[in-house]
Amino acid sequence: MIPAQSDPPGNAQSGAVPRRRVSDFDQWRTVTFLQLGHYIRTNRFYGLLGFVVLISGLTLAFEADAGVAAVQLQQLYRPSEYLSNYLVNTGLFVVLAAAFFGGDALSVDFSTGTGYYMLVLPIRRPVLLAGRYAAATLVTLAVVGVYYVFGAAGAVYFFGAPSVPWSLWLESLGVAILFALAALSVAFCISAFIRSPSAGVLVTVLALYVGFATLQATIELAGFEPWFSLSYAGGAMAAVLDTDFVHIQNIPLGEDQYYTIWAATVSEGLEIMAAYVAVFLPLSAYLYQRKESTG
Amino acid sequence: MGSLEVSALSKQFGRAPPVLHDLSFRYEGPGAVGYLGPNGAGKTTTLKLLVGLLRPSRGHAYLNGVDPMVDRKRALWDVGALIETPEPYPTLNVHEALDAVGRARGLSRENVDREVDRCHELLDLPPLGQRIGWLSKGQRQRVALASTLMGDPSVVLLDEPTSGLDPAERVLVRRLLNQLKRDHLVFMSSHQMLEVTEVCDEVVFLHQGQVLLRDRVERVAGRIRPRQVDVEFERPVAPESAAPLRGVATEVAVLSDRRWRITFDGSDETRVRLLGLCQGLGPVVQFANTSLVLEEAYLELIPKAPNET
Repeated sequence: MIPAQSDPPGNAQSGAVPRRRVSDFDQWRTVTFLQLGHYIRTNRFYGLLGFVVLISGLTLAFEADAGVAAVQLQQLYRPSEYLSNYLVNTGLFVVLAAAFFGGDALSVDFSTGTGYYMLVLPIRRPVLLAGRYAAATLVTLAVVGVYYVFGAAGAVYFFGAPSVPWSLWLESLGVAILFALAALSVAFCISAFIRSPSAGVLVTVLALYVGFATLQATIELAGFEPWFSLSYAGGAMAAVLDTDFVHIQNIPLGEDQYYTIWAATVSEGLEIMAAYVAVFLPLSAYLYQRKESTG
Repeated sequence: MGSLEVSALSKQFGRAPPVLHDLSFRYEGPGAVGYLGPNGAGKTTTLKLLVGLLRPSRGHAYLNGVDPMVDRKRALWDVGALIETPEPYPTLNVHEALDAVGRARGLSRENVDREVDRCHELLDLPPLGQRIGWLSKGQRQRVALASTLMGDPSVVLLDEPTSGLDPAERVLVRRLLNQLKRDHLVFMSSHQMLEVTEVCDEVVFLHQGQVLLRDRVERVAGRIRPRQVDVEFERPVAPESAAPLRGVATEVAVLSDRRWRITFDGSDETRVRLLGLCQGLGPVVQFANTSLVLEEAYLELIPKAPNET
């Protein structure tokens, strides 16, 4: 073993085991399945799924107990109104899922031994991030999907399958998927920034659920449309089904005084969500690429 | 054959003193290199810089001629690295954890299974269906080591590879490393001098981020003259019989009625005289250095910290 005179080829291999060049796409698939296999066995996945089933089940049980006629009257005999009201909690479940599966998705590499297992593999970091993002999206959609299925079941039970607006239900699910992507992008960015996994999860919940809502309310009080808020954009999930949708509502407070409330239109909501993905996902990749394993 | 190189490599965290300062060396396989030094010398930092877990403040690191800062995938393609305490996801089973590594390194499904079987045999891995989270520390360390070997990379970087292993597991790993170094480049940091003595062909002594000595193990051993031997007699010997030795040795400590520890100036001359004197007192069954030559070299080379005694 002596110092070599010339550089050896970059991909020199001892050659005992045949290996093929593996594309970034193949590695992305490997990472996605690995991460998905991990997520679907975690307590947090079953916990969140149980929580969704519990909330949805209780809602339907109480409504069923009230009676079909009472529910129909309450929703003005419109199944779309029923679904719109039911799906108003979608944002909460998306935020919780995004925090649970995205809030520590990248920080685990710098605070636990996972990084010493994953980051020494010949995989580019953006590919690792993309695989984890895909897996987190799939489990988030599983959670949200269960909630939507319960909603559809309720609509069928109270109004009958033929009268359920299935296309709008699907459209709302599509908006929820984009909302999940946006929330996960923010969660991944926080996770790339904060080293502690538990702090990442907590900060994601606080930012997405409390932070945005507080900011939105403050801006509305000041008389401006909170067009930059992700939680504002999330209203589009229910707005799709809302036949009485009002974009701007002026509530009179007194003589010549109004309190204005804005609700995002579907197109506006989609634009905001897409903007969040476009900004926060590349930012996560940049931060993740730059991060060092100093621990 | 695999190679690694660091060129004028320095690493500094913030305003703290540099952890590594202008480090340069290059090794090409096959063979094994021991990377030695006290805690905080910069051994793990060097390994992290080599695989791109840290960015150099100055200089470059190359694996098989490729800088991981420039092209991580190509640099790590033919490299297995075990740094700190790698932990696969605890929810995965042993096979799944190794399968992902094999696939990332371009193995076909068939070859992944073949490699998993090979590693299972080499390292006496726990049952493949067992969850990582249920394994003992030693079992987890062996799985991590197996992940390093998946796909048979030409360069193997190891950071304290036997840490957390029991004596039987250490013997197993030492045997494995001795096999591995025949056709791979093994670069390992370790505090276990026995392991380094048995496995490595070359050693690098690192202290405060700088290389103190790089040489072949036998040449380092040639420079060092151990100054302490343990003598074991066949039959009990009276402590008063040590009197003739005291004029030649610096100190003679009676450990038991059959075992003495003799400290002397380390020269071959004195060693021969002492052996002769001991044989004059009765049959000698053992006359051996109390410590490993590399350990003596380590203690001689590495300056003690000011507050150390």
